[in-house]
Amino acid sequence: MLDIKDKLDKILMKVSKPARYIGGEINSVIKDVNSVDIRFAFAFPDVYEVGMSHLGLKILYHLMNDRDDTYCERVFAPWVDMENLMRENDIPLFSLETKTPLNMFDIIGFTLQYELSYTNILNMLDLSKIPVRSKDRHGYPLIIAGGPCAYNPAPLSDVVDLFVIGDGEEIINELLDLVKACKKDGAPKEVLLRRASKIQGVYVPSFYREVYNCDNTIRTIEPLNEDVPAKVKKRVVKDLDKTYHPDRQIVPFINTVHDRIILEVFRGCTRGCRFCQAGMIYRPVRERSKKTLLKLADKLIKSTGYEEISLTSLSTCDYSEIESLIYDLIEKYKDRGIGVALPSTRIDAFSVNLLNEIQKVRKTGLTLAPEAGTQRLRDVINKGVTERDLINSTREAFKAGWRSVKLYFMLGLPKETMEDVKGISDLAHLVADVYKDVNGNTKGLKITVSTSTFVPKPFTPFQWCPQDDMDTIIKKQNYLKELLKGKIFHYNWHEPKMSFLEAVISKGDRRVGQALIKAWESGCKFDGWDEFFKFDNWLKAFESVGIDPRFYAYKERDFKEIFPWDVIDAGVKKDYLVREYKKALEGRLTNDCRLYCTGCGIKDLDEGVVCFETEK
Amino acid sequence: MKLRSKFEKDGDLKFISHLDLMRAIERAMRRAQIKFSLSKGFNPHPLLSFGPALMMGATTHGDYFDVVLEDEIDPEKFKDDMNRTLPNGLKIIDCYRVDDKDLLSDRVVEGEYTIIIDLLDYGKDMGDIIERFLNKDEILAEKDTKSGKKMIDLKKYIEEFKILSVHDGKINLYLRLKISEGSPGPIHVLKALDDFAGHVFDLEKILIDRKKLILN
Repeated sequence: MLDIKDKLDKILMKVSKPARYIGGEINSVIKDVNSVDIRFAFAFPDVYEVGMSHLGLKILYHLMNDRDDTYCERVFAPWVDMENLMRENDIPLFSLETKTPLNMFDIIGFTLQYELSYTNILNMLDLSKIPVRSKDRHGYPLIIAGGPCAYNPAPLSDVVDLFVIGDGEEIINELLDLVKACKKDGAPKEVLLRRASKIQGVYVPSFYREVYNCDNTIRTIEPLNEDVPAKVKKRVVKDLDKTYHPDRQIVPFINTVHDRIILEVFRGCTRGCRFCQAGMIYRPVRERSKKTLLKLADKLIKSTGYEEISLTSLSTCDYSEIESLIYDLIEKYKDRGIGVALPSTRIDAFSVNLLNEIQKVRKTGLTLAPEAGTQRLRDVINKGVTERDLINSTREAFKAGWRSVKLYFMLGLPKETMEDVKGISDLAHLVADVYKDVNGNTKGLKITVSTSTFVPKPFTPFQWCPQDDMDTIIKKQNYLKELLKGKIFHYNWHEPKMSFLEAVISKGDRRVGQALIKAWESGCKFDGWDEFFKFDNWLKAFESVGIDPRFYAYKERDFKEIFPWDVIDAGVKKDYLVREYKKALEGRLTNDCRLYCTGCGIKDLDEGVVCFETEK
Repeated sequence: MKLRSKFEKDGDLKFISHLDLMRAIERAMRRAQIKFSLSKGFNPHPLLSFGPALMMGATTHGDYFDVVLEDEIDPEKFKDDMNRTLPNGLKIIDCYRVDDKDLLSDRVVEGEYTIIIDLLDYGKDMGDIIERFLNKDEILAEKDTKSGKKMIDLKKYIEEFKILSVHDGKINLYLRLKISEGSPGPIHVLKALDDFAGHVFDLEKILIDRKKLILN
């Protein structure tokens, strides 16, 4: 280990942002490695600045380190300049805290936040001199994975030993206890996995097999042993208010993507937007009480010294006591220059009033997400906002002095026509008119329109939908480029090839996983970064394993079809998703389930699972 | 009130930038519950000022920062409270009160450095080379500025430059440089010397420590 530290000192002079690799930040944890039973490496398959912004890491890192028998350290994907120097100087991938090579850990836990980071997982294992396929590994470290993308575990099934489905803090202690016991007994990996598969929320892919039909759809996902569950049920934290939330967070030296306190106000979302995977898999909605949040905020401010606190959730303005929470935080900390940030803003005047309050301490941007250009299409996706909402909220914002607005949309939503695409531009122009109405002219106005490309995701009502083909998306993007000309407008779009690949992997089966390994072998990594994305390598990889990526992204699926992720029970029932899909096709809205239950099925998941509606 | 703190930045923290350093000090003050004054405007920030930025990879054992505080505080207490919460590698070694009008930027006149470099060529008489180097009429070097590359004469800035020792294939140098708007850093001097001597240094293996900034 001293060896790594010595070598590092020499190469860090030559890399960009060397502080990515030094550790030593405030609130990072240093333990005597000989005093613990389990060493856990929390691995984020992207660069430090991205990974350090992730809430799950913040929670699990301190949760695990609060155990005396466990030491959790961090590791991120080294940027390519660092990777090259590490390979040249024979430096294996190491943990930030103690610079220990990763292959000396008991458990390496990857968080799966987006599909285009999967090749980095393989690369990180390789840099650790650990075989990428689970069948080639014997003994430790155990490779585990969790996070939203774990809900379709198929593409990483040859790589990962076990997946953790659902809220990690609910399950991790049981898993650590088991690993500790198995290590003590000297139990082989096979026995450990067998015992782990009995824990609710654990999916061990090597105990299952995908069987295919001749049309390439799945005939069955077959358990190979009698004693493993046919479906793995996700785990949920039942009472979030009583659930662990760290009162300290690591304070990075370098600027990270979200360089502020992250305070999770609630988990889940009641809105029911039909494209949104997070809105489905994080059900039910569970809030922390205002009292708990204020107490946590105070401790976090004291322990980090941060100047900003972000109230995080999928839709923070929906929090029951949002107004008084923000007001209390601002009042308490404004004299010290500590501001509040809202990551996502709903489009109504109410939200703008909140932003006005926030603005008293720190200026924030205004980001609104109508998602679709016309009312018809917004009804299809169940985004319950109207043109009137947008006019009202931007009017309030412009009156309060905002000059720039960001508008987020999706292109390629189911049933989208060129008229809907034009609607995006119409809305942007409408916002410009509102500004003109308020200020008399458009001086100083900047409207940024960003379109991502719709990717059908598992466990959403749109999981049966085809994705628009790349040519169609390019046509739509070009149309918007034409329509959004002029100094006021700035148009950003996503690379269609990346969105296509994202669709293939997110709906992929184990054969896509074989292509993933091939793609990595041919040099793919950091696929979400334009400068490294190698689409041709991916196409060759799919060809070499004999699959057609278009099958996964473009095919309209049958309701009877078995999906690779049907081995997982996410709580939300398939018949609810079918119902929502059919309503989408008819353009019918479903109410916010804070009003009354829409019958998604989450309440039947386990005893004691309570969602917002039943609580009242 | 305004406090001036002399501090060290050492160990792995040589890999953090000047901006990172400023943030680390600001956040340490918050953790230490120090009531500092805030700037007016949309994004309030503490009234902190630092001496000239240190290059990435260099350590210091005598840099300074000034901060304006809301309340009266004993400089010793400020130092102790900060040192309890600063990350490993950052430490305040001295702290004293200065007049509100006293600007750090007006006070910094020189920087003192020690430098250790791997030698590529052991055969040359470095003492002689440095003497001839310093005796040149002018020592021109290229420096990146905000408005592009610019030629400057290093000779105007070098106050003292000498060998402290040579052993194990490494040379240990002492350098004292004038500091003013647009002044060069030790790396400019080292590169110029290396060019002059016909590439004797391994410039990738170089340790620079600013022993201290000298205030007038």
